[in-house]
Amino acid sequence: MGRPEPRVDGRLKVTGNARYASDFPVANPAHACLVTSAIAKGRIVSFDLDDARAVPGVLDILTHETVGNEVHEPKFFGSGGTASTIHRPLSSAQISHAGQIVAIVVADTYEAAREAAYRVRVTYEEEDAATTLDSDGVETLPATKVRKEHKNPRVGDAAAALRAAPVTIDAVYETPTQHHNAIELYATTCVWSGEQLTVYEPSQFVHALKHAMAEQLGIDAEDVRVISPYVGGAFGSKAAVTPRTALVAIAARRLNRPVKLVATRAQGFTIATYRAETRHRVRLGAQRDGKLTAYVHEGWEATSRLDDYLVGGTETTAHIYDVPNVSTRVNVVRTDRATPGFMRSPPEVPYVFALETALDELAEALDMDPIELRRINDTRNDPITGAPYTSRSLMACYDEASRAFGWRRRNLPPGSMRDGDWLVGWGCATAVYPTFMGAATARVRLARNGATRVEIAAHDLGTGAYTAIAQTAAERLGLPVAAVEVLLGDSALPAAPVAGGSNTTASCCNVVAKACDGIRRRLVRAAMRADRGPLRGRKPSSVNFVDRHIAGEDGAKVSLADAFDMLGAPMIEEYAHWLPHGMEPDALKKLHLGSAALTGGAMEDRIAAAFGAELVELRVNVYTGELRVPRIVGAFAAGRIVNPRTAHSQYVGGMIWGIASALHEQTELDRRVARYVNTDLAEYLIPVNADVPDVQAILVSEEDRLVNPLGIKGLGELANVGTAAALGNALYHATGRRIRKLPLRIEDVL
Amino acid sequence: MGEMMSKVKVSTTINGDPVEYLCDAEETLLDVLRDHLGLTGAKEGCGTGDCGACSVVVDGRVVCSCLVLGAEAEGRKVTTVEGLATGDRLHPLQQKFLEFAALQCGVCTPGFLVAAKALLDRNPDPTETEIRFGLAGNLCRCTGYDKIVRAVQAAAAEMRKG
Ligand code: FES
Ligand code: FES
Repeated sequence: MGRPEPRVDGRLKVTGNARYASDFPVANPAHACLVTSAIAKGRIVSFDLDDARAVPGVLDILTHETVGNEVHEPKFFGSGGTASTIHRPLSSAQISHAGQIVAIVVADTYEAAREAAYRVRVTYEEEDAATTLDSDGVETLPATKVRKEHKNPRVGDAAAALRAAPVTIDAVYETPTQHHNAIELYATTCVWSGEQLTVYEPSQFVHALKHAMAEQLGIDAEDVRVISPYVGGAFGSKAAVTPRTALVAIAARRLNRPVKLVATRAQGFTIATYRAETRHRVRLGAQRDGKLTAYVHEGWEATSRLDDYLVGGTETTAHIYDVPNVSTRVNVVRTDRATPGFMRSPPEVPYVFALETALDELAEALDMDPIELRRINDTRNDPITGAPYTSRSLMACYDEASRAFGWRRRNLPPGSMRDGDWLVGWGCATAVYPTFMGAATARVRLARNGATRVEIAAHDLGTGAYTAIAQTAAERLGLPVAAVEVLLGDSALPAAPVAGGSNTTASCCNVVAKACDGIRRRLVRAAMRADRGPLRGRKPSSVNFVDRHIAGEDGAKVSLADAFDMLGAPMIEEYAHWLPHGMEPDALKKLHLGSAALTGGAMEDRIAAAFGAELVELRVNVYTGELRVPRIVGAFAAGRIVNPRTAHSQYVGGMIWGIASALHEQTELDRRVARYVNTDLAEYLIPVNADVPDVQAILVSEEDRLVNPLGIKGLGELANVGTAAALGNALYHATGRRIRKLPLRIEDVL
Repeated sequence: MGEMMSKVKVSTTINGDPVEYLCDAEETLLDVLRDHLGLTGAKEGCGTGDCGACSVVVDGRVVCSCLVLGAEAEGRKVTTVEGLATGDRLHPLQQKFLEFAALQCGVCTPGFLVAAKALLDRNPDPTETEIRFGLAGNLCRCTGYDKIVRAVQAAAAEMRKG
């Protein structure tokens, strides 16, 4: 652990041999194509399917008239279930969002299915739809009404502190609708063999998908297997189970033939989840020396009518700085849209943008360097509960980032750093991500010749889980990484948590280490008991596994093969489960039922989070308003880093996500009809190679002996958290104009 | 689609091997490669020419195989990601993508490799800007852009050494 091993799955990926869900060959598949709703609210009056059925090769067309009650109501993942929504697909004529699935056409070929899907004619009765935060017809509710467990962190008397503060900030911030747009499309292939169903679908939680299918189709969970060894990007979109899967399974059952669906890019905007738009009012009070005295944050988040989805990001922001008086409140706004869902750092991206921009405004009001302001308000304890951070390196991150960036050369006044036709601005912001962990199980098998196999139903979304897990087992067993085979992404393997909340490395490496320790104990015991063995009579704690040997401190050693002979077995298999600190004891049971229960972040007795500092340079052309980001430096501390190479990739990728989020991405809504407008990769802007600047990620070392036995914090969702605020702050520094609404666009500065 | 539709018979060369297949007239080259020939290295990320995940080389030019018909491959030479390595020996681009960590989820990787190979075949010594713009048709959402550029530069240097 700790070495920059190249990805163990890399070779399969560069040769085109890694099998993603839609790459699995199945015998004689039929192909499915979805038909989605043209209206956002109302009902289907009738279908005209004659033209569609006339297309040669069409096998079946499913609508609510054929499916009806076949799909049982799923439980929402936010309430301990597995599903992205409680909506039962094709169960009625009711339409609750634009792009809802209204029919699924199955044919011998994809071309025939697509042709027939175009020819499905639907007559609707349309009602007025409420589109977004302040549209007519929305319903605004306090988050505490929508979800009982929701907490609005508060401490002290923020209102009084605000009144008394000599310097205050009061501003409103907004973030847009965004879609994950992983490059891999939403694909599902279902194959029945008698009672048994196999699902090939890219998944961040194969055990949840397995149970979801059992629950929704009314079958035995032991009859379902989900296979998803490689996932072509997910970012949250493949965690909760979406309505399409049950429909593909039903289509396959009716035809008694495998059915393969690859939804189009445009359909992906409405048949799965998205990041909903948010609004924030942030008020800060401070003394003239920069010490914060009050923080008041009220948030509004768009959601659907059906589900209780919310992100409630003050659960993160209230714990970052040392503020004695905090008051927060989150509201949800019900609209006629699909249910949103987790997208990379779901609460942090919008809420931290608001707070970190407000802090920059405060620094400006105080005429103070913005990093200095953060230093004054740094803390070792959770300001809400007083509990200590398990470790925290925010200011170390700022120090390293500002050194690499050359922050000292920054002129304080906005508009003072011009370079020819370009206004230059430097901005900074804090990145933060709570450390989450989940209950996990794993099986490890070690053979006499050192061949090791790790089985765990974890998920590698490109994050490097295969490699981190292989490194963990290799280190514990004293083997080269190449000796370790890792099997992931299959519900037939021991259950592991959802690949969400950046918990995979912490949860899975800890449980795999525990299973390896079980193997070690058995071998060590055998080696110590063996007559005339070189390690006879040693204390178990005095030996280590290195280089295919069990070695004592004095150099005495026994080879693995000899230890196996002493044990009298050709191989050892060990199963382990692991419960993180603070986890409810029934967590393992829940895990086996596919519930995404995680623990961590702000707990009663401690708080755990990874931190970072992001510094950016933004240039604005004085004539055209063109925005350019020539460089960005991020320094991050996330406990023990299992693999610096893959961690570096996550940080760089995260910061590029942050740039995209701040300067490019917005799903545009047609407010009259509550429909998305830019539903393809030409119109939904994400950066290309030519847009991307010099991105520097610095790994700040941090040791955490408390957070979990291996000292690992999650980092995949850390680096995209601070970027947008840093860019907005840099834009202010360049131009003197404060833009409080993302994305930042040319029209904002002209 | 049965007898109603006429199938097209195509003779082509894929990764150096002569190949014959039957396909529907409106079937894309991407679907032929993936569904009929078992060459699932090329991926579908959009089907509309926006992402480059389906990139293959046809007669020396990178194309989006989602926008090319299977029938159009008649008489041509097609190279897919599966054709880059020689037996067990990886192409320098593949090797450098591994070394420079230029991939994460890997779903864009085959398209990038194919596009980069075509770029280097045309221009063995591209500038950084030429690489960035040369690969602007390929999206990586994960996103490995900077590392991809470094990997292509390193592979180009190695290939020039011969
Ligand atoms: S699938 Fe062909 S360009 Fe996206
Ligand atoms: S590595 Fe995932 S899209 Fe490029």
